[in-house]
Amino acid sequence: MIFKACLREAEVTELLHSGRWPAAGTPELVSHVHSCRRCNDLVLVKQAIYSLRVETISAARLDSPGLLLWRAQLRRRNAAFASVGRPLAGAQIFAMITFILVAVGLVASQAKHGIQWLQWFEEAPQLRAFHLETLWSFSFMRADWNLTFLIPTLGALAILSGVVLYLASEKQ
Amino acid sequence: MTWEYVIPNVETGAPSRASELPMDNDAFAAFYKRSARSLWAYLARVSGDPALADDFMQESYVRFLCALRPDEGEVASRRYLFGIATNLLRDHWRKPASTSIEELPEELFAEKDRAMQLDSHASLGRAMARMRPRDRQLLWLAHAEDYSHREIAEITGLGEASIRLLLFRARRKMAKLLRERPAEKARRA
Repeated sequence: MIFKACLREAEVTELLHSGRWPAAGTPELVSHVHSCRRCNDLVLVKQAIYSLRVETISAARLDSPGLLLWRAQLRRRNAAFASVGRPLAGAQIFAMITFILVAVGLVASQAKHGIQWLQWFEEAPQLRAFHLETLWSFSFMRADWNLTFLIPTLGALAILSGVVLYLASEKQ
Repeated sequence: MTWEYVIPNVETGAPSRASELPMDNDAFAAFYKRSARSLWAYLARVSGDPALADDFMQESYVRFLCALRPDEGEVASRRYLFGIATNLLRDHWRKPASTSIEELPEELFAEKDRAMQLDSHASLGRAMARMRPRDRQLLWLAHAEDYSHREIAEITGLGEASIRLLLFRARRKMAKLLRERPAEKARRA
């Protein structure tokens, strides 16, 4: 199939688009359309498709525009909720992972001192430190007891890092 | 400091503001009235399925309303709408048809009658149906909607130079099918 342009195609197209074909066409243009394959195809197809359009448009069943507006509002609302939920879920996952890592670290460090802990439980009733009034000061005397401060600190850090991550992703 | 300040989007007003649409009710109703029939005709003729055209028309308008885009006037909005519909059709054709006949709703069979009603120009419709979907799309946009090659390129995502050639081929094929029609009638007579 050879693609050959016709110089009069634009003229024919304009008359067809404006609905003035063949009335407004000069006899010379009409005779050109009869002899030019390209322009003839154009007129034939345009008129056929246009008559199909007129027929098809009359068969259209239209919904209420209000229903479509409502559906669009609902979809946008759901999208807004989803966009709020996404960074929150990310922050929760991050906080959870940090918490698990801290917990694993704690268990691992305590496993090393497991025997000492058992010993401490046996000696506990005899210890002066077991009394409530000395408990506070005692916690500073043993290195292991520093975990009493370490755990809440790490917990707070995990929560804060979750919030920071949320705010960072929210900005994006 | 309130929790709404720490987590800015979790305030109660945010989702309701998000559901505000770029077009108000009256403007949309007027735009819908002017464009819906043309869009439905395009979808119905290109897909060959009036039920699918109903669904895609709804979906096109919902996506159109959800899109955050500046108001560029009626002509651009209409073109954008046809672009959405074209993408929906393209996705539909790309999707593998895996539905078994048992899963099809009963209404779908009733819709076939409506498809038949569409074709009082039955043979004209048949000629159109014998074209490839992309050719139907191009012919409809060019000759039913009177879009220029540049506008068709924008709607379909094809190159403007390709449109010229593809449209030429599609038109030639359609014209051939239309010329066969009277010849067939004469043979039957």
